[in-house]
Amino acid sequence: MDINKVELSLGQKIANPFKTTRKSDTNPFEYKNFEGNTLQFADVFEGFNSKEVNFKGNKLKMISSSVMGSLTKLHNSITEPIVNFVNRIRTGITHAWDYAAHTNITDVAGIRNIKDGILGIKDYGKNITDYLSGIGSKISDKMSFLNKDVTEIGHDLSDKWTSLISGINTSKIPSGLTVAEYKALWIKENELLASQLPAKEIALNPSQVAKEITLTNTTKEMVA
Amino acid sequence: MNKNVAEIIDALAAHEDHTSIEVLEELGTNSPDNEVREYTSRALVRKNVHDSLAIVIINQGKGINDLSPSVAMSTINEILSLKDKSEVIKILDDTINMHSDENVKENARSVKSLLALS
Repeated sequence: MDINKVELSLGQKIANPFKTTRKSDTNPFEYKNFEGNTLQFADVFEGFNSKEVNFKGNKLKMISSSVMGSLTKLHNSITEPIVNFVNRIRTGITHAWDYAAHTNITDVAGIRNIKDGILGIKDYGKNITDYLSGIGSKISDKMSFLNKDVTEIGHDLSDKWTSLISGINTSKIPSGLTVAEYKALWIKENELLASQLPAKEIALNPSQVAKEITLTNTTKEMVA
Repeated sequence: MNKNVAEIIDALAAHEDHTSIEVLEELGTNSPDNEVREYTSRALVRKNVHDSLAIVIINQGKGINDLSPSVAMSTINEILSLKDKSEVIKILDDTINMHSDENVKENARSVKSLLALS
């Protein structure tokens, strides 16, 4: 078996095995293309001469570079002038207003279902149903009635809220009473609490109730 | 605990009438509600008079001798936070020396030790 000679003939050119394929333009400090989304490894704040590697600083700079690149990309992606955009939105609003002004309330999607649904409601629904029964008027005409109705509901709720608050306020224990009066109030509170104790709680947690009863009896025995 | 009950206890605790202590003992320290007993015991300690302190120190099942650890510990804590401890120390000494129940004496001894350390 012959051993092939490894030799070079004169003039023969072979690839240098130690030559890398790395291009010189991959040098991050020469990367000056700002059209991309990110500026990889570019130090946009300290210039290209900094050789010091700081991990935290690099991270911040990477984020900053990304933001700068994103802004550049956003600028390129805006194809519609802002004036056109505003006009388009304004037109949409105008159309919505025209729709509201020239559409019967019963033609509005969902209103029929709402009307059918609230027929069975006696209190507030009745008033609203009465107003809705005047079919044929425009929404703009109906708004005053609806406002009136909503105002009535609001007043009713306000009255209920006021009564609730006043009830809470009146439940506050007044100062300056005699000891006997405080005692009477305390007994009354205990009776009220006892009456409010739901039977359901006893059913769900009989051991706790039994424990409390036992504790009470124990305390009374000790007192005796 | 019911807010109204808490306000009544506060009002009785601040009341100058001596009978307020009796009401607090009758309705508060005998309550089946742990929170009411705890709140009442602390109110009696804050009164810092002989009769109110005696209730929470020498009575079985009340104050520092309560079956509920939370009530007992709260009462002890309130005693430790008193500015004028002269009356409570006097009652503790009497309890340690003269009370018939060994458990009550032991509890009083423990509280006095805590007072000495605080």
